[in-house]
Amino acid sequence: MIRLAWRNVWRNRRRSLINVASMGFGLAAIMFGQSLLRSLQVQLIEKSTGSITGHLQVQDDKADLVKMPDRFIVDPRPAAAALENDPRVRASGGRIHLTGLVSTPATSVGALICAVDPEKEKIITDMHAYMTQGDYLGKTAKGLVLGESLAKRLDLRMGEKAVIMAQAADGSMGAEAFRLVGLYRTGSESFDNQIVYVPLAAFQELLARPGQVNNYVAKLKDIEQADEVQKDVAAALKGLPLRVLSWKQIDHEILGVKAFQDAILFIVLCVVFAIVALGILNTQLMSLFERVREFGVLMAIGARPRWVMRLLLVESALLGAVGTLFGLCVGAVLIAHFGRAGLSLPVGEALSYFLPFPSVIYMRPNWTAHATACLAVFATTVLAALPPALRAGRLKPAEALRHV
Amino acid sequence: MSKAQPLAEARGLEKIYPGGTKVAAVRGVDLRVERGEFTALAGPSGSGKSTLLNLIGTLDRPTKGEVLYEGRSVSRLPASDLADFRLRTLGFVFQAYNLIPVLTALENVEYPLVLQGVGPGERRRAAQEALSWVGLEAYGDRRPDLLSGGQQQRVAVARAIVHRPAMVLADEPTANLDSKTGAALLDLMQALNQDHAVTFLFSSHDPAVLSRARRVVHLVDGELRG
Repeated sequence: MIRLAWRNVWRNRRRSLINVASMGFGLAAIMFGQSLLRSLQVQLIEKSTGSITGHLQVQDDKADLVKMPDRFIVDPRPAAAALENDPRVRASGGRIHLTGLVSTPATSVGALICAVDPEKEKIITDMHAYMTQGDYLGKTAKGLVLGESLAKRLDLRMGEKAVIMAQAADGSMGAEAFRLVGLYRTGSESFDNQIVYVPLAAFQELLARPGQVNNYVAKLKDIEQADEVQKDVAAALKGLPLRVLSWKQIDHEILGVKAFQDAILFIVLCVVFAIVALGILNTQLMSLFERVREFGVLMAIGARPRWVMRLLLVESALLGAVGTLFGLCVGAVLIAHFGRAGLSLPVGEALSYFLPFPSVIYMRPNWTAHATACLAVFATTVLAALPPALRAGRLKPAEALRHV
Repeated sequence: MSKAQPLAEARGLEKIYPGGTKVAAVRGVDLRVERGEFTALAGPSGSGKSTLLNLIGTLDRPTKGEVLYEGRSVSRLPASDLADFRLRTLGFVFQAYNLIPVLTALENVEYPLVLQGVGPGERRRAAQEALSWVGLEAYGDRRPDLLSGGQQQRVAVARAIVHRPAMVLADEPTANLDSKTGAALLDLMQALNQDHAVTFLFSSHDPAVLSRARRVVHLVDGELRG
């Protein structure tokens, strides 16, 4: 049967090639869409967690806000121990994220002050990679790193001092002068205009909170392990007034964006599947009408109705297999090419207000999704052949033989 | 099964095609075909020859009456059982040859054996033998479009006999052939009938063809005459 089916598939070569091409390019488009979306989402997560959030954070469990906890961890040592002792953690460190005021003789600007341990922060986030002048705090005890545009607004040059003010532990306004040691440019308006970096110890002194932090952040060796590490660290810290959050809880809006994008992709996929299915249905119906007499002959010489149905389904399955293989090859080549060369999209600009995001997407395969798409396209081709196959199975030999 | 039973028997066969004007293509036909017969159904166009062959060949169901093979009624069998019955018992030759165009001559001849589930080696051997009986052993690898009409009809005959059916039904087998090729085909059918005991029931309105039959059954307006 397979030999006959295979030859029947290529009986009308042009029509079959058009079908294979439509299936193949349809599948390649699906794979491209899946890969693009996946790459975009992965880059979005990498950038978001790599710019500020990290993969896990330990916070005071009574803090109202998750992005910038409004309560401090008075003794971060248990959190430090739990994270540092976990082999799945690449680096961890205490931080303070707090709003404050940066003042120069020229002006004062409200800013988000990130007080960090510079050496640890270089592993946890990639902000140091955006430095355009000076260095990322280095060993300067009261150094200050600003975005270029914020420095310009403050009229502050390298080596000059700015005063940072923030509410201290006793409610008073703490103030301290910090010297500008580095400038960065991410291209993100919210980062470059609003976020300043200072050494953790100096800022703790300014706030009169020695040793205290308002989040203890960790970067994992594998982000996919975030949930299980979160669970284990939470278990280790049980009984303490602390909570352990993964990036999914802190940057939950990214998951919302991801779900939205996945929904759009699903709708697009349904449309593509419908187009493929209609193409196959049309081909098989034409094939049926052209070969009614032949089916009559097959039935006359002893083919059962079910056998004739199977023949049409096998033909469709073979056509589907060729189309799927072709689409898989085209899709894989496209993804491999844009994985190396990158795909330039204005997405960086679209997201630049919120995040430093590159305008080049490096596509990566999403084999689970691609395998599902291949199976779905293949199944669609077989299912689309079902109505004509059922019709062929109901043919009466004598009537089929009279068909012109 | 009793040896007294005819190979095939039509009892009170009637076929009425439904529609605005009901057409009775076959009316009250009783016919017995014994093993080894070389029988022709004669009659002008529209006399019901093809319909009667289709009914006897179980390709169509009668409106009334029944068809029996060796005493067993087959007219009411389900479609799948009828297909199995045809596969084991009957061979068909059609006016328009009706070979499968994507298969070679040898593969066409093999096909009933494929449907029977015969293994590749055995069915190839049987198909080659059948092709040699019709004198086309050298043409096995050719597709139908590379064969003449006469050669295609010989391949169709080989396909009809490859599985050693009890009877071959041929509907106007020479109608699309020139007289010389038609005569050669009839020679072949006669030889198969005499040398290999293949029972033939065929239809024709050509006197030259009918003259070769050992028995001629006349059909006029769907009824047997004489």
